[in-house]
Order: sequence, then structure tokens, then C-alpha cells
Amino acid sequence: MLDTLAALGRFGRFAARVTWRILTPPWNAEDFHRHAWTVAIRCVGPVLAVTFPFGMVIALQGLSIFDLFGAQRLLPSLISVAILREISPVMASVLVAAQAGSAYAAELGAMRIKEELDATEVMAVDSLRWHVAPRVAALAFACPILNTLGDIGGLAGGFVMSVWIQGENAGVFMANLWTFTHVGDLLGGIVKTATFGLIIGMVACYHGFHATGGAAGVGKGVNDTVVRATLCFFAANYLLTSAFFSA
Amino acid sequence: MSALAWLGGLAYFTLHWARVAVRCRPPPGQTFAEAYKIGVQSLPVLLTISAFVGSNLALQGYNAFAPLGGQRLVGMFVALAGVRELAPLIAAAMIAAKAGTEMASQIAVMRTREQIDALEVMAVNPFWWLVTPRLYGILLVMPALTLIAVFTTLLAAYCASVFQLGLSGATFLEFVTQSTEMRDLATGEVKALVFATIICFVSCYCGFYSEKGPEGVGKATNQAVVVSCVACVTFNYLVSQVLYG
Repeated sequence: MLDTLAALGRFGRFAARVTWRILTPPWNAEDFHRHAWTVAIRCVGPVLAVTFPFGMVIALQGLSIFDLFGAQRLLPSLISVAILREISPVMASVLVAAQAGSAYAAELGAMRIKEELDATEVMAVDSLRWHVAPRVAALAFACPILNTLGDIGGLAGGFVMSVWIQGENAGVFMANLWTFTHVGDLLGGIVKTATFGLIIGMVACYHGFHATGGAAGVGKGVNDTVVRATLCFFAANYLLTSAFFSA
Repeated sequence: MSALAWLGGLAYFTLHWARVAVRCRPPPGQTFAEAYKIGVQSLPVLLTISAFVGSNLALQGYNAFAPLGGQRLVGMFVALAGVRELAPLIAAAMIAAKAGTEMASQIAVMRTREQIDALEVMAVNPFWWLVTPRLYGILLVMPALTLIAVFTTLLAAYCASVFQLGLSGATFLEFVTQSTEMRDLATGEVKALVFATIICFVSCYCGFYSEKGPEGVGKATNQAVVVSCVACVTFNYLVSQVLYG
């Protein structure tokens, strides 16, 4: 219990120090661009590969409900609400935590084990500012972009399922797509994923930065990163959903 | 091309394991130890995540049906979305993140320390020793974990809709019982077995052929969780299409 509290306190201090270094110059802009680009490129495939089948499943299950009421034209509205508000932000962030978060924990962990981070400190370079801050900022920046791409993938999945496979009318689908959704839903998803990206980046870099115990330690850090980052942002998701979407 | 080669490697790995598995009994102590580790240690994470998924589903269902004046339908929405799709899938994603990454990193560390070569030198088949207990262990606990996830989701959704949204609890339960059948739970169990197999083989394969050193361990763990998540979502669609389509 006390250990958990102590670990939480260490994490809080780490997060505060990183936040300070993100907000104040000098910034390591070059690494920020490089990391943001790498994250976007490496995650876009998995994110689309997850949201597309998810859109198809929503269409499949939604049709089975709306068939009961004869209200098939409501299906596209349900798909767009579910994808924009919930599915795409959550699934994109799960994939970012799995792909980019664990990669950061592994990279920083390997640097810590090989004493590269100590070498940076010895050269009077602030390793938090130089190595950690650009990574965290890059995740917070790339997550909303991936979420938007995930939205498109999910809607495309819904379209393919209901129009091409189940034979609904394409015009009816497009006409009803935006009945219940507005720009606020898209923006809500973007704010959510930026927060999730920040959380994932902090948790991942914390575990990498404080890795101990050789290769096994790095593996354990990566493992803890995925689990804890997912837990944290699911909790944050509940709070943000309550704040944004409950009328 | 490299993705194809990777898939081929996975198939070869699975066949290699199957050839040993049909001939030898699994190591019994190991199997139960793995089952305990996967099942009991993933439980707190799974309970927390399912609770948040359930409460979120209730909130979103309430909002989605508000324009239709059908806030009472929240129970049906939670039952269909949660029981049929989200609870089994989120359970699989969390098991992949918790138990799958652990399998990958443990086996990758053994590769780094050349313990796998040591096993072969001692004439112990590494497929039998490493993969069999993990596979039987995860197959043993995964259906139970999925059921627990389903009920936690429903409980959290009930709490959110009664205490946060102020809906009637009796109506919620009525809609839940109306729109779920035994078949939905059985489908969840089928999904759980499929996901468990995917997670175990993908994670063990990633760990088994990892590069040596800390980077290799990190990369194997990373790859294991991403590939298992993507594969689980894809197979979720296939199973849903076959059983509900």
C-alpha cells in the first residue's frame, strides 16, 4: 500500500517535471517532429485495422436491433455516434498505448540499461528535456490525428457492411449519417485523445526512464506500461465522457 | 512481403508445437501455475476496465437514444453492445496487454540469456516446455475471465444508469433480460477461446524468435500486444458474422 503511494508520488513528480519542460523553451523541436511522424506512421495501420472491423461489427449488430423496429434508416446515425464519440478514441488510444507507448518504454529502458541516459546527464544535457519531453508531446499531438483517421476507418467499415454486404441503400445511409452528430462530437473525440496521448506518454516514459534490472526489467517495464496506461486512460475516458456528452 | 513471411513463421511455429503436443502430456504443475498467474493476476485490471466500459456504455447509450426519447432503452443498448461485443473484446485486449506481454517478455528474456538453447541442450523440447503450459493455462481461465467481464460491465452500467443518470433500475434489468439470451453468453465463450489461442500463439512466437538484448525484448513485447489486438478485433468480426450474421 505504502509502496503504491510512493510510486504514485514519484510518478506525479516525474509528470510535473516533464510538463514544466514541455511548456518552457528551449524545445527539442527536431526530435518532436521525428517522434510524431514515426508514431503516426507506425500506428496508422493498426488503428485502421482495428476501427474498420469494429465499424462492420456495429453495423452488423445494429441492423439486427433496428430490423426489429423497422428503423434501418437510424443505423448510420448510430454508427457515427458510436464511432466518433467512443469507439475510435478508445481503440486508437489502446493501439497507441500498445504500439507507441510500449516502444517508448522499451527505447528509454534500453537507454537506461546501457547507461546512455547517465552519459547524457554527465554531459550536462537535461535528459528529461532532451529525451522525454519531445516523446510525450509527440504522443499528445499524434493521438488526435490517429483518432480522426480511425473515425474515417470506422465509418468506412460501417458503410461497407451495411451497403455492400447487407444491401442497404447507399443514399439513405449517407443522408442519415450525420443526424445525431455535430462538430462537438468530433472535437470531443480530439480533446479526449489528446488527453489520452498525454497520459500514455507520461506512463510510458516513466517506466522506461526508471527501468532497472537488465533486459528482464525492460520487458517488465513495457508490460506495466501497456496495462497501467490503458487503465489510466479508461478512467479518464469515463470522466471526460461524463463532462462532455452527458446533457 | 515481410508480413507474409511473419505469418508463415507463425504457422510453422504452431505446427511445430502441434506435433509435440499430440505426443506428450503437458507439464501439469506448470500448467496450473500459468493458469493461476494469468487468471488471478489479470483479475484486478480486468475488473477495473470492465467497470469503466460498462459505465461509459450506459452514458453513451443514454445520449444516443435521447433524441428519440428512448432513454429507457439504455438497458437494451448495454446488453447488446456490452454482452455481445465489447466485454469479450475488451477482456481479450486486457489479457493481451497483461498476460500476453508477460509471455512475450519472459520468453524473449530466456532467448536473450540463451536459456532456450540450454533447454535444447538438455533435450527438453522448448515448444513443449514453454508453449504448452501457457496455452492450456490461458484456455482454462479465459472463458471465466470473459464471464466476469460481462457481469462487471452489466453491474457498472446498472450503477451508472441508476445512480448517475437517475433511470429506473427495474426497467434497466427488464430490458437487459429481454435482449440477452443464453446464446449471447455462449458466443462470448467461443470468442474467449478463439482470442485466448490467438494471444498465446502470437505472444509466444514473438518472444521465441526475438532479437537478443534489451531492445529485442522490448520489441518482441511491443509486437506481441499490437498483433494480438489487431488479430482479436478481426477475428471478433469473423465470429460475429458467422454466429449472428
